[in-house]
This record gives sequence, C-alpha cells and structure tokens, in this order.
Amino acid sequence: MGAEQAVVVTAPADVRDTAGLAGKYLTFTLAGEDYAVGVLKVREIIKLLDITSVPQVPRHVKGVVNLRGKVIPVVDLRLKFGFEEQAYTDRTCIVVVEVAMPSSTALMGIVVDSVSDVLTLSAADLEAPPEFGARASADYILGVATVKGRVKILLDLDRVLGADAALTPGA
Amino acid sequence: MTRPAGNDGRRRSRRQPGPAEEPAATAQPGTPGTDPAAEVPAWVSEVDDLLSRAACELVLEPGGHDAGIGPMLARVSATLAGTGIDRLAALAARIDAARTAPIDVLAGSFADIQAAWNAWKASAPDPAAAGERTDASATATDPADPELAMLAGDRELAAMFMAEALDHLATIETLVLQVEAHPGDVRLLNDIFRPFHTIKGNAGALGITSIQEVAHSIENLLDLARDGRHTIGSAEIEIILRGVDLLATMVKSLPVRLAGGSAPDVGRACGALVAEVDALVRGGTPADTAATAPAHSAPAQPGTTDTAAPPVPAAVPDARAARTDGSLTAVRVDTRKLDALVDIVGELVIVQSIIFADPALQQCMDERLARNLGQLRRITSDLQRSAMSMRMMPIRPTFQKMARLVRDLGRRAGKSVELVMSGEDTELDRKVVEEITDPLMHMVRNSIDHGIEPPDVRRAAGKPLPARVTLSALHEGGSIVIGIADDGAGLDTERIRARAVSLGLIREDAALSPAEIHELIFRPGFSTADQVTELSGRGVGMDVVRRNIESLRGRVEIQTTRGVGTRFTIRLPLTLAILEGLLLRAGSERFVLPTFCVRESLRPARNQVHGFQGQQVIQVRDSVLPLVHLAALFGIDGSLPDPADATVVVIEDNGRRVGIVVDELLGKQEVVIKSLGEAFARVRGIAGGAILGDGRVGLILDAGGLVDLLDRPLACAA
Repeated sequence: MGAEQAVVVTAPADVRDTAGLAGKYLTFTLAGEDYAVGVLKVREIIKLLDITSVPQVPRHVKGVVNLRGKVIPVVDLRLKFGFEEQAYTDRTCIVVVEVAMPSSTALMGIVVDSVSDVLTLSAADLEAPPEFGARASADYILGVATVKGRVKILLDLDRVLGADAALTPGA
Repeated sequence: MTRPAGNDGRRRSRRQPGPAEEPAATAQPGTPGTDPAAEVPAWVSEVDDLLSRAACELVLEPGGHDAGIGPMLARVSATLAGTGIDRLAALAARIDAARTAPIDVLAGSFADIQAAWNAWKASAPDPAAAGERTDASATATDPADPELAMLAGDRELAAMFMAEALDHLATIETLVLQVEAHPGDVRLLNDIFRPFHTIKGNAGALGITSIQEVAHSIENLLDLARDGRHTIGSAEIEIILRGVDLLATMVKSLPVRLAGGSAPDVGRACGALVAEVDALVRGGTPADTAATAPAHSAPAQPGTTDTAAPPVPAAVPDARAARTDGSLTAVRVDTRKLDALVDIVGELVIVQSIIFADPALQQCMDERLARNLGQLRRITSDLQRSAMSMRMMPIRPTFQKMARLVRDLGRRAGKSVELVMSGEDTELDRKVVEEITDPLMHMVRNSIDHGIEPPDVRRAAGKPLPARVTLSALHEGGSIVIGIADDGAGLDTERIRARAVSLGLIREDAALSPAEIHELIFRPGFSTADQVTELSGRGVGMDVVRRNIESLRGRVEIQTTRGVGTRFTIRLPLTLAILEGLLLRAGSERFVLPTFCVRESLRPARNQVHGFQGQQVIQVRDSVLPLVHLAALFGIDGSLPDPADATVVVIEDNGRRVGIVVDELLGKQEVVIKSLGEAFARVRGIAGGAILGDGRVGLILDAGGLVDLLDRPLACAA
C-alpha cells in the first residue's frame, strides 16, 4: 500500500494524487526541519530509554530497547538522513511506529529531536514532494504540506525503515 | 487454517460487513494491510487494544500530560472516523475533543468514551450468519465435495473436530496396544469403543460420511467384542490400528480438501477396510450363538449402533461420566494466547524485581509496606509458576507414539521387543514435547535396528526374550532428563573407530578414549549400519538428532557397555521461555551467555596465553583454544583487556571450543528470551534479547554463531 502511494505521488504533481494523503499526522523535528508521519503508523511516544547496541548493524541503528517487555529496534533518523549526530536532550523522544517488514509488521522506535503535535492535513495543504531540498531521499517522501508557513515533510516509514531492510548487516 | 484470533474476530467481522473499504477510501497513509478479509476484525481489536492501553496510561500517569495518550487517541479517532459509520464518527469527534484536554479532564471523559465504544460493539447488528456461510461455501467448497459443505462454513468447527478426532485417535492407539496384552479386558474395550463412537458421532453430525463409515465399522467390531460376541485377536488389532491410521490420514487431509486442494484418495482404502472388518465380524466370530445376528444387523442399520449401547448398561454411565469430566476439566486455548500470558507474567516479575531493587524503597522502613510487598512477591511468583505450568504438558503422548513404533518395528525386524516406560507424567514445555518426538523416534529406531540382537543371537548369549527398550523421563534439578535404553549389544567401539577412519573423521593413529569414539556417531555423515535398512538410518543420522536436541538447548550423552546395552540420556531445559545464562560484561554492554554451552570459566595465568599465527590462543590443560575478545568482535568501545587481566569463558558448540574474553562475570541469571525480530535476523552471534534486572535489554549470545564468526585457524578437535 505504501509502495503504491509513493508511486502515485512521485508522478507529476496533481491535486488528486495528494488528496489521498489527507488525514492526521504526528509532526516532529529533526535538525530544525519538520517531518510528519501518519498517526495510524504511530503506536506511542516514549521518553528516551537506555539503548542496548547491537553489533554488525549500520550506524543509524542505535540498538534495541525494552518497550514494556517487547524488545524493539531503535533507529536514529538524524543519522539515517545524514544529519550530524547530536547528543540526546530531554526533548529527544522515541516515536514507536509500526513498519511493514518483508514478511510481517514490526514495531520500531525512531529517535527524533522533539515531537511537535498532531495535525490534520487537508488536501489543500498538501503537495507532491519537491525535486530537491530535503535531506531525506525522495523515495522516502510521500509529499509535503505547508502549515502556517512551515513546510512539513511527510515520510513513508515503510520505505525508510522496512522494505529495504535498513537494519540488517551486510547485503 | 488461518483464523483470526478466536470467536471475537468472527463476530465482529460479521457485524460490520464492509468497513474495510471505507478506511481504504479515505486512504490514510499507511492504512495497514490491503486485504479486506484480514483487515475487517483488525481495526476493531486495534481500537480495543488502543483504548485499553490508553486507559492504563491514564491510570499510570496521574498528573502531568503524557505525550503517549494523545497519539493513541488520535489514532483511535482516525480509525473510527475512517469507518464511515455515523455513530463511530460521532465518537471520533468526541475523542478528538477530549484528547487535547488536560489529563484529569480526559480521565473523566474517557470512561464515557469507552462506554460508548462498548455500547456500539454490543448493539451492532447481529451476524447475518447465513450471508457469511453462503459466502464461505461459495469460495471454499468444491461442489464435488459435498461432505465438506458444513465444515466449509465454519472453519473453527473444522479445526475443533480435527483436534478432537486426532486426540481420540492417539488415545485409541495406546489403548489398542494394551488390548494386545490383555485381550479380554472389557473395560479396555469400552475405553476404545467410546472415542470411536465419538468420532463417528461428530463426523456424522458434520456430514463427513467417509470418516463416519470407517469409524462406524470399527466401532461395530468393538461393540461385539465388549459384549463377548467376538474375540479380539491379532488380526483384529492389526485392522483397528490400520483403521486408526486411515482415519488420521482422512482427518489430516480435511484442511487440504477445505482449501480446495487434492487430498490423497482414500475411498478405496475405506471400502477395503470396511469390507475386511465386515468379513472379520462375519467369519471370525467364535462358535457362538450370536455369530450371524450382529454381523447382519449392524452394518445394515448404521443408525442403531448409537442406541445399541443399552444392552451393556454398565458402559453407558461410564462413558457419560468420562465425557462430562473431560469437558469440565479442560479448555482449548490458542497457544499464542498462552505464550502472551507467559510473556506478560515474565514482565510482571521483572518489573517487580526492579521495584524491589529501587533505592527509594530500600530506605523505606514501614513494616506494613514490607509485609504487603512480601505478599505481592509471593503472589507474583505463584502466578509465574502457574502461567508456566500452562505451557507444560506431559510427555505421555510422545511416549505412546513410541509404543506403537516399537511394536511395528520389532515385528517387521523379526525381533521381539517390549517397551517399558516410566515417568510418562513428567511435564515439559509444549514446544519441547513437539520437537523432541522426531529425535526420540530416531533413537528408538536405532535401538531396535542396531542395538537389539536377533532372537537367536540373544538366546545363544543367554539374554532374556523379549528384548527390552526402556523410555524414562524425570525432573532433575532445573532440567528434564529423558532416557532411551536398550538391553542390546551395545556400541561396537572398534567398528565405529574403523568407520570413522575410513570416513576421514579421525586419523588412524588418533588416541581416543572409548567415550570419545562413541561421540563420533554424532558426526555428520556417520552411520555404522553396514546396510541401510528400511527401518533406520536413511538420510537422518545421529548428527541430526543431536542438532535437534541442541536447538532445544539440550544435550545428549551415551553410556554403553558391550553386550549389555546402550543408554542415551537427553537433558533438556524445563521450558524454552526461560534461559539460564551467565551475565557477562564486555565494555559498556552486558550479555547473557546460555550456560548449556559454557564449559568453564577461568582467570588465565599470563603463561597460558600465547600468540599463534597472529591469533591469541589459550592453553587449557592439554588443549589449545582460540581466544575471541567479545568487545572487539562486536565493536564495543572501552574495553580490550589483556586476557591475563580478564575472564575467559570457554564455550563449546558442535565439538568446537573457543575462549571468550570478557571484562567480568556478573553472575548467573534466569532470563525470559525475547526475539529481536525480523530486523536483526541476520546478526550473527546473537540469539535474542533479554530484559535484565534494571529494565535494560541484554543480548543473548549464540555460541554456534560466535564459533562460526571465528575463522578457526586451529582445529580444536582431537
């Protein structure tokens, strides 16, 4: 489903294509930029926990944490998108999201600088992704929305975290 | 049979015929799933789940605003709004209004929200059962398969029928073997009659006539036997066992048939069996007055056998009592629910230990609090014990399978063998019971095929007949010990040695103790049987047995005496959910190393550690083992101790030993094993994660993976 949508929105800009993206989004910041993920993907937001590092994984995979007894992987989106590493602050959060993996869905934590708000984005707010500018690869972006003069980048988390098996070593 | 979890899923799915399309139409990014059938119950249970979690969070987070509740409720409202149902959309709006309120206000209105949701669930239009049934039968039933018309409409019913029937068949099988020893035991015959009767009845009620007919025919034979009108001999037993096998095949093929696939055609076998039973009943009856009457009446009037029970008044109350008991004392539960329960209880225990270790609590000296905490601790550990015990089941069914195997194999090999069992009621983890069956079967097969001598050889040696295979199970410490012993010829050390040399497993001049030579039978590709018989060997060797047992975190040992017999001893952990491990520290990280792969740990003296071709090695007594720095292997900062200042843990996997260098040993600990999931499936040397006492995750090391990670420069085999 995620894949289908991504294909649609990377086609030439068309109001109807982005209309499908209207809905509620959780917004957060990364290195001063605003990002958004659909609330249906978000399971919860937790404060930063002690992360246990896992060997043989890329640098942006920080390791695993104990989410009320479930062991879930944690990915630092700053590092994933190639921003400079920054010491975690007390505004740093882990957003727990549901990601489609090749053969199942998995809970995964993403480390973000701070969580902002839940916004309802209407079709009028939405545009197809720009050709340039964002640090995240265009594959990861569903679209952009402009709210009160600020640009929010809508992320396709299944692409960012799941389908390309971003966590596994080698290959 | 991929039913959504239980009854609820189905009830809900019927209630809300088409919500699947609606959320898809509003197309939230990432609306999960594309398959409407799978999605229908999912959103209801998801809302349930989210609401109950939000309720918990509200209770746990008095004062202050928890960022987690907002998104949870936002998700609920988005889901509800997406259903396109007016009442739910209204509820979504209420949730939206409530979720931004301060937490105490939210807590007040939350109860109303939950009540409204529950009211909707309760009042939603009741299942149009007919609609679903037609639907299901249209897709699933092959018109050529009228037997399945009823089952196709109700997969749950089908699953239940199958599970019950297979249970009954297993019971029958064991009992039939006992009849062989006590042919005249009427109670035993009654015990066999009843499950056949139940299978027949259930199959009849569900319209599966083929199964009904076979069960009926054998039931009829048994009915005569328990009335004393027919004697059970070896031919009867043979045919009953064949009937059991046939019925099992038919029952097991139901899912395939339901899915529209082609199952093995058993029509002819059924006909043949029914005819044979018929012939047996007719011709095999001893000179008795009733010889022709029952043979005549029973097959002719299949309906009467149900009511034919009254002539044996004793049997009826008996049968009824047994059935009532059975249904009252046991409940079928989805194993996933059980696993989830065990998981949650594991968490509870861990949280409790975190709380008890809290310095703030340690300082508190209140006596009443201490007493109550003590009570809490006791209850928690009771809860854990009973949750664990729910996953446990007796090893009896597995042993019973062996009884059948011993009988069949002994007969086919022309050897007379009796099986003696002890400790059948020993309980072990369900998963262990399932996984241990194949290795056990293989070992029993080995015993009969290679261990036990032919009767003439035994007679010449003055050994008793029948030969004896002993299966035993018992608890010993924290583990289960299963023994398979035979009083056969014992392992032939010289032949094993010669074979190993010819296979190139060892050098001709290798100095090996007999025990070391016996270990060689666990090497891949090893088989001493000069000819591979139909019964044993062929493809699967003892190496597979050992690998299966090790994958259950167990070990297998051999004791053998030439001419007296062989005993295999399998040691298994009580449960797979909990692992006993050594807690290690390497740099800033802690790891759990399963104790079953640890051979020893030591603080090496400086002169034990050497360099060898650029690799550090350690001399432990007379062997030289490669050393691995765990911190270096896993790229952990802050530690690369000189082995002479550190601790070395010697691990063994598949006969290879390696020394692992760590900063320190933190002690022994039992941990609940958690999978790291698909994301980390390819990480080598890590078997999973565990929540440690302080709530952090510790990684569980995988000995096999660690050994593989080394490019073994030194062979550590003898």
